[in-house]
Amino acid sequence: MGTTFIIAKREFRSNFDSTLAYVVICLGLILLGFVFFEFGGGFWQQDRASLVQIFAQAPRGLSFLIIPVVTMRLLAEEKRSGTLEMLITLPVKDHEVILGKFLGAWGLVLLLVASTLLYPLLMFFKPWDLGPLDMGPVYSGYLGLLLYSAAAVSIGLLISALAESQTVAFFITFVVLFALHMVGSVADKMPTPWLREAISFISFDTRLVPFAKGMINTRDIVYFASIAVGCLMAAFRALERRKWA
Amino acid sequence: MRLWRTLTWFYRAATKGAQVRALPKEVGLSTDVMIEANGLTKRYGAFRALDKVSFEVHRGEVVGFLGPNGAGKSTTMRILTCFISATGGTARVHGYDVFDDPLEVRKKIGYLPQRAPLYGEMSVWEYLTFVADMRGLETATFKKRMKNIVEVCGLATSLGKDIRDLSHGYRQRVGLAQALVHDPPILILDEPTSDLDPNEKAEVIKYIQEIGKERTILLSTHNLSEVEQACARAIIVSKGRIVADGPLEEIRAKSGRVRYVVQVHEKRVFEGGPAKKAPSAEEVQTALEKLPGVTSVVELPTDDRAHSFQLAGAQDGDIRAEIFQLIVSKGWLLLEMRREAQKLEDVFKALTKNDERRDRGRPVVEDDEDEAEAAAEDEDEDEDEDESAEDESDEDESDEDEDEDESDEDDKKKKG
Repeated sequence: MGTTFIIAKREFRSNFDSTLAYVVICLGLILLGFVFFEFGGGFWQQDRASLVQIFAQAPRGLSFLIIPVVTMRLLAEEKRSGTLEMLITLPVKDHEVILGKFLGAWGLVLLLVASTLLYPLLMFFKPWDLGPLDMGPVYSGYLGLLLYSAAAVSIGLLISALAESQTVAFFITFVVLFALHMVGSVADKMPTPWLREAISFISFDTRLVPFAKGMINTRDIVYFASIAVGCLMAAFRALERRKWA
Repeated sequence: MRLWRTLTWFYRAATKGAQVRALPKEVGLSTDVMIEANGLTKRYGAFRALDKVSFEVHRGEVVGFLGPNGAGKSTTMRILTCFISATGGTARVHGYDVFDDPLEVRKKIGYLPQRAPLYGEMSVWEYLTFVADMRGLETATFKKRMKNIVEVCGLATSLGKDIRDLSHGYRQRVGLAQALVHDPPILILDEPTSDLDPNEKAEVIKYIQEIGKERTILLSTHNLSEVEQACARAIIVSKGRIVADGPLEEIRAKSGRVRYVVQVHEKRVFEGGPAKKAPSAEEVQTALEKLPGVTSVVELPTDDRAHSFQLAGAQDGDIRAEIFQLIVSKGWLLLEMRREAQKLEDVFKALTKNDERRDRGRPVVEDDEDEAEAAAEDEDEDEDEDESAEDESDEDESDEDEDEDESDEDDKKKKG
């Protein structure tokens, strides 16, 4: 087993050593249930066998609550307590530390995403068979969630690598993700067309809509993937900075 | 195709900085030099944390790395363990260059950073397993080795406990244990006894003595009695420079002084001797000053029964016979006479007591010739440095503020 995966495993498991993670996960799932069935008319009003609500609301729940909490500790807390020195002086390369941390946090987020699979399974297969579900948008929607969460987690990791404390990391991550979600809704009010386009280009929401509808655009995949790769690279540089600072 | 190229470009860029030669050059250890630092220099801006530090540690040595707080001990150790990079100079550990082969270096080293930072949420056993996994140890080897380590470090009763519930002393033991997991030939321990109570200190020192029988150990501390117990050799650093390096005996001798303490009765004389009345303090002092090799005579405070003096003499001489003869010939009554070699503590104080901040902020100079000149401008430089440091921190704060402002604006936009 490579050192990357050992770090990822430790990181993943450490989430379950504090009550905070449990509280956040439970709260997240309860909120999702509420939003799915009640928010904006909810599932029953739509009168369609569709999971669009999950794909529209889950990313927001992840961004505003779960991802900032999961990623804030990753490097900021290790820097503060000094455990980073212990970790890095083991025979491990810097990029393995970054990748391991990323995989550990992403793993937890994916676990949460996977837990929403209960909705389609329970509602459209057993025990309640509410009707035939169009599986295409479900697959693409989950692909969207997968890509989106990779991008969001790597943003959180980068901020944690730069921040001095986990509280600061939490707030900055929250604000950045909030902005990336909400920026799409101000696009229409922009005076010039190029500004409108530019803003909707960077908006998470605009990028996620096609996935929920069953459309997989290369552009959207590249968008999320490049955010993830770019942030991981930057986080690697931020970690390396300690050598020369 | 274009996408693929972009992705490979990203990958290459991401791994570029971390790429280490696939096959690190296997360097045969022809000598028994385990740690070799050569002109190590570390600058933080204008501040010199280390200034051309050079030393060697040989196989099987237990070396004390001594110095006041902020002298550069931890910085040196962090460079040797490849946690940070030196601004100048080279270092080799077990024959591997710390800059070129950091992974090989780390494999050969067991490192305990200051205050033993450990993952508090893990249990001792989990933590040690984690370290063993990271070091690629086979489970069977790990378990076999653990028996010995648990015994040496006295961890048998606390293996199942969470690290955050352990006392400081026990954490330090876990720190030692994790440094020993892979049976490294070299141990680097950064202040393993700081913050411990005297009993715990004694125990940790005992463990180090035990461990040091077959390993090379570099041990930093500012506690001198520990060095005297555990090490045969010491390196003393001050202001980022090495001020003494050698066997403890040699360092003690470095000041070139021996002290004698002489006490003469103030009221009585030797019966049947030449003296009829007890000597005055001045009388004794003048007589002692005339002895060969005595450089100073200082009166020590005593009760009114005796005159007590401290003499400083040359290191290689021994004038106890002369002192005795002088006192017999005068007919005084000798109460006490002893010769003291200089304590390590005194040497340490003498070597490091000069203003800590001197030389630290002087401008970067490449030639030694310029240094005297530069040192003269020290005080001004120090002030400048403080100011610039403050400026920097202000800038940082304003940067953060800007970030937050931006995001606030975003919030407003959204609400609008």
